[in-house]
Amino acid sequence: MKIYRVTKVVRGQCKAEIIVYPSSFSFLGDVDLETAVLLVGDDSLKGKSLAGKIFIFYETKGSSGGALVLQTLKNIGKAPAALISVKAPDFNLTEGAILNQVPFASGLDQSALYELKNGSIAELDLNNGILKVE
Amino acid sequence: MILTQDEKDMLNGKYGNIKAESIDYIIQLGEAFGAERLVDIVYCHYPAEMGIYKGNVEDAVEYASKGGKVSVPTTSSTLCCDLEKPAITGIPLSLAKLQMKIEDAHRSMGILETFTCTPQHLGFIPPFGSYTALVESSAIIYYNSVLGVRTNRGGLLTRYSAICGKYPLMGYLLDENRKGTHWFKVEIPEKRMDSSDAWSALGFYIGKIVGSEVPVIEGVTTQKQEHLLALGATLATAGSVTLFHLPGVTPEARTVNEAFHGKVPENYYHITEKDLDEVYSQLTNINRGEKIDFVTLGCPHYTLTQLQNVAEKLKNRSIADGVRFWICTNRMTRKQAEYSGIVERIEKSGAKVITDTCPVESHMRQSTCREYGLKVPNVEAMVCNSGKMLRYVKDLIGCRTALLNTDSCIESAIAGKLIK
Repeated sequence: MKIYRVTKVVRGQCKAEIIVYPSSFSFLGDVDLETAVLLVGDDSLKGKSLAGKIFIFYETKGSSGGALVLQTLKNIGKAPAALISVKAPDFNLTEGAILNQVPFASGLDQSALYELKNGSIAELDLNNGILKVE
Repeated sequence: MILTQDEKDMLNGKYGNIKAESIDYIIQLGEAFGAERLVDIVYCHYPAEMGIYKGNVEDAVEYASKGGKVSVPTTSSTLCCDLEKPAITGIPLSLAKLQMKIEDAHRSMGILETFTCTPQHLGFIPPFGSYTALVESSAIIYYNSVLGVRTNRGGLLTRYSAICGKYPLMGYLLDENRKGTHWFKVEIPEKRMDSSDAWSALGFYIGKIVGSEVPVIEGVTTQKQEHLLALGATLATAGSVTLFHLPGVTPEARTVNEAFHGKVPENYYHITEKDLDEVYSQLTNINRGEKIDFVTLGCPHYTLTQLQNVAEKLKNRSIADGVRFWICTNRMTRKQAEYSGIVERIEKSGAKVITDTCPVESHMRQSTCREYGLKVPNVEAMVCNSGKMLRYVKDLIGCRTALLNTDSCIESAIAGKLIK
């Protein structure tokens, strides 16, 4: 088991499978709004679903439509279980995470993007700012 | 975060569940960005709840049915059609009827149905330095920069600020985030800057460079409301600028030194007419003399004076067959313009004075047409005096565009081809 420190952006905790996108991510355009699968990334990522997973990414980029995308995914029951970024949180996405009760953390060490394996089970505890990966 | 006793009471339900939920969201927003406390806001400009976004109106109606009331003066942003005269834009009746449901929902919550991107034209001008929660990027930058009223770029949570009357003390509400970050020295003849399209182009150029930072613009000046509005609108479109300083004009920058809070950077960007020309060519792909079929004025929504000027230019003239000419404003201004005979003079020419909406917020978006199975309105070439409008038209309506001054827009509408 490995433990990472993270900073709480939006409260909550969960235990779920992780999916790691090591670059900048645009919620508007990089994920399918009906299936929640990634439309970008290499062969190991493209086509994988974010639904119910802890989605770990470097930072957000692009349009300010992220909140509405998160809301749409939540409405169809396919929102990620939690969001974790390396860089500081994006204002718009944070609003979406608050409204849709999606736990959100930032400040993950960049090296984690390469250490963590897709499909591992992790526990996010934002009362204590900790991500535990099995 | 430190809360007052009253805020704690609100959170614990003393004023009901709706207020408790609202302040909880606003506290979470503050916690996410490290705010120390909340402040009382004195005014809110409420998000558009638009028929063209699926589920948006239904959600707003459902929320209003819970009985929540805004606790500060609250105006509303633009819609996808003219609610008083829906046929004027050619929107299908079913979509207009959906959009109309927003009016009762907003009224029941105490929101004033202004449906405009320029509430400042309606007299909603709180005192210098006061805290507000606003949506609509062109209004946000105008309130911050020209009026010195403090707000961030609000999003989905603005609804909850209106309900609880609070916002976290963070971002552009704080002095330290209001200092200039980038210095622009502009060397462009005064005469060229005497039209709002030139200010629109300047804002476009600087916005691209500065992104979300705070530009200080020196070397050109204006005291005209429409110039400052045009500059702000494109700064907030090409970049995501929330605040600019025009030393000697905007209230927090009597001098360049004051704009930078005493720390003037060593480096600056030099802007010349060539840079302005570059923006015009980026936003223009219609040649002189080519056929045009759409002319838009009123981005951001026109003032009464601007409508008066257009009416004067259109006196005893007719626009060409097959040209749509929309002049967009808010409903209070149209009422006054009707009273003054301005609307009649404009409409005699074949042009239309439209309220509550504009081309890119209307059903004319290609994606909206596809989603609702509407016939895509046939637009080939649009001319406009606003860089903001044209930036969005390219993607959302997908026609060719040209950035022109107001007179050339009007002459083009009359000729049915691009005149400049």
